[in-house]
Amino acid sequence: MSCYRLARLKALRLGSLLLALLLLLSAGNGWGATVLPSGLPQAELIRLGERMYRDGILPSGASMPAFIRGDVEVDSTAFSCSSCHLRAGLGSFEGGVVTPPTNGVKLYQSYRRPPSLDDIPDQAGRYIYAKTVVERPAYNRETLASAMRFGVDPAGQIFNDVMPRYPLSDRDMSILIDYLELLSSEPSPGATSKEFRFATIITDDVSPEDRRALLLPLQKFIDQKNQQLGMYQKFIKFGYSPTTEMKYAFRQASLDIWELKGAPETWPAQLAAYYDKKPVFAVLGGISNGDWRPIHDFCEGQRLPCLFPITDFPVVSETGWYTYYFNKGYFQEGEAVARYLNREESLPAEGEMLQIVEDSPQGKALADGFRQTWAELERPALTTLTLSPRELADRKALDKILSKYRPRVLLLWADAAVLPELPALMGQLPADAKVFLSSGYLGEKSAAVPESVRGKVYLSYPYRLTPFVGPKDGGYDAKVPILTTAKDFGDRRITSRSTTMLRQVALRGLNLLYDNLYREHLFDLMGMQMDLTVRDYERFSFGPGQRYVSKGCYIIQLGPGADPALLPRSEWVMH
Amino acid sequence: MRLPFQVSLALLLTAFISAALPAGPARAEVRYKRSVERYQIPDVVLINQDGKKVRIASLVNSGDPVIVDFIYGTCTTICPVLSAGMVNLQRRLGPLSQKVRMISITIDPEHDSPKILKDYLKRYRAQPGWDFLTGSRADIDAVMKAFNAYIPDKMSHYPINLIRDPRDGSWVRIFGLMSSKEFLAEYQRVATPSVSGGKP
Repeated sequence: MSCYRLARLKALRLGSLLLALLLLLSAGNGWGATVLPSGLPQAELIRLGERMYRDGILPSGASMPAFIRGDVEVDSTAFSCSSCHLRAGLGSFEGGVVTPPTNGVKLYQSYRRPPSLDDIPDQAGRYIYAKTVVERPAYNRETLASAMRFGVDPAGQIFNDVMPRYPLSDRDMSILIDYLELLSSEPSPGATSKEFRFATIITDDVSPEDRRALLLPLQKFIDQKNQQLGMYQKFIKFGYSPTTEMKYAFRQASLDIWELKGAPETWPAQLAAYYDKKPVFAVLGGISNGDWRPIHDFCEGQRLPCLFPITDFPVVSETGWYTYYFNKGYFQEGEAVARYLNREESLPAEGEMLQIVEDSPQGKALADGFRQTWAELERPALTTLTLSPRELADRKALDKILSKYRPRVLLLWADAAVLPELPALMGQLPADAKVFLSSGYLGEKSAAVPESVRGKVYLSYPYRLTPFVGPKDGGYDAKVPILTTAKDFGDRRITSRSTTMLRQVALRGLNLLYDNLYREHLFDLMGMQMDLTVRDYERFSFGPGQRYVSKGCYIIQLGPGADPALLPRSEWVMH
Repeated sequence: MRLPFQVSLALLLTAFISAALPAGPARAEVRYKRSVERYQIPDVVLINQDGKKVRIASLVNSGDPVIVDFIYGTCTTICPVLSAGMVNLQRRLGPLSQKVRMISITIDPEHDSPKILKDYLKRYRAQPGWDFLTGSRADIDAVMKAFNAYIPDKMSHYPINLIRDPRDGSWVRIFGLMSSKEFLAEYQRVATPSVSGGKP
């Protein structure tokens, strides 16, 4: 006998008593009565409902009251509906807990949840702590209100204790239920049961080589998807029974190339024209040598997923939602240097530290990363001088600056043009001085740091140092050991990183969507992925709302020779 | 504090339903598993929410009860419940909350910087006495292993509270989720010298 049937019998035994109590309550307080629609305009409903669902804030502005474990009062602003049921409302699977869907489309149908650890009475000596309802009949507005208030489903089954109980007023309950009915009710644009439409974005400052390096894995991905669909259709024709995974894994795929030309201020209009003409479900990759912000902002506005563009200038934000980045680009290198210095036992006083910034987007991004992190670490700001490339090339002027400040720590956010002068410039510094440079900014010239000063020069290096087995195109068919060496400096890793994005991250999310073709659900699924070991970075890690999957950056020094060993002076991640 | 009518009513009904369906098929029969253990804490240095280095072995070697759990900042399921339990215990203890040291240790050290830890504690309105620690993955793995709580990936974690008895340095290991009342009772078993129920 299923749990559901057993529960129904139990519910019947208690039905009369429970009903009497509910009627008593409803007579006195309105609970259990018909939950009428709020009657609010849709935009207002979404605004208020979304605030309740995502932020745990009532229409009045107060925090939603909630209780778990019978008596544990929780603050819904810290622990909202979307914390567990996630933004799309399709639920989650994490830590052995299956959180069921909570959007109207699913709630108003009967439900049987996927298997979980809960189905095993005892797992490796551990008690099962989060038993959730296995099967339930469809809700209606009234039973849904009871579920949220009292934690009981339409069959009388009591929810797991981790589900809070919400003593909401009729009006607030009505708004929340209206919102749940709207949540993930229509598939997102660009996806149907038969097709995924994608685009990629390329700006006109990208070289033909880099363009090819991006499009190669993308076209291959699309071609493979379509080829697999053809094979799948033949299997079905021959009477093969597909598994659930297979049923939803094969769809036609297309890729549009959105070329952006001219000034970045004109990009939003160009993007809107592409999108209006043919909306896509997601942007796969993309590449620009400039600031990604106009594209980032467009995707936020359209609620359009943009998955792992190749950019050194991502938007660094704690609230951005719709773009997944590999990392924070140059900003992350500056951040790593700040964290490295913060841990130094014999760090000189701030007055003995100097930051010289080339007046360029790279220099500014590096300095921003350092400044912001340094401030977070509650360190006083450093003396910072921003110099034009011309001023940086003026040896006398630089000598004057360095002899004036005589810094024991010099952050030099400049390009490789400064390298030949480095020994002479460092002659102006105290004997124990250290100089920090960015390997991203120096590019392939990083290995050209003069050998005479390598003992005092430190480089930020945001890529993998340890060996990785796999071919250079990022595929995983051959077993070729890759040893990171100085030869990797300047490699933009466009093909390898894009392949990683497609094969190891995006594809998993897309396949797990099944028939829930909602963009928010794609993010929810991708956020629940386990950590990954990948070719270019030591580790990718995920989590709800996390948008920079590679969190590390080494501080290294160079060994001797023209092809120097890269000597780590820090861990991958520093705090 | 007087509870609003609706809150009281909801609690009343929840209590009624809980009492009426004690062994329902969809209800976990065991609320949590309790055992008493001894652990050797590794001598590693972690970093607290203020960015300060802390030696975990020294931190737990306290004359007051110590409570440890493993959570992470962006967790969607178990951690918010564990953290609500921590903050509710602080509230229930009132001024006595200063007599218990609460330590949450992140299982997502790549993401959870001191700033994120600090914001998390602020979001939960944690009182002084509840620290949230991060550090290198290797050090945190060592701590998890020492507490027999190692997981290779944060997505496969499970709820554990560890309560150190200051009288003999043993640890009450609780697997599962406790109510506020249960949590308080477990704390009192190690906090009250006259109570001799610490070891079942």
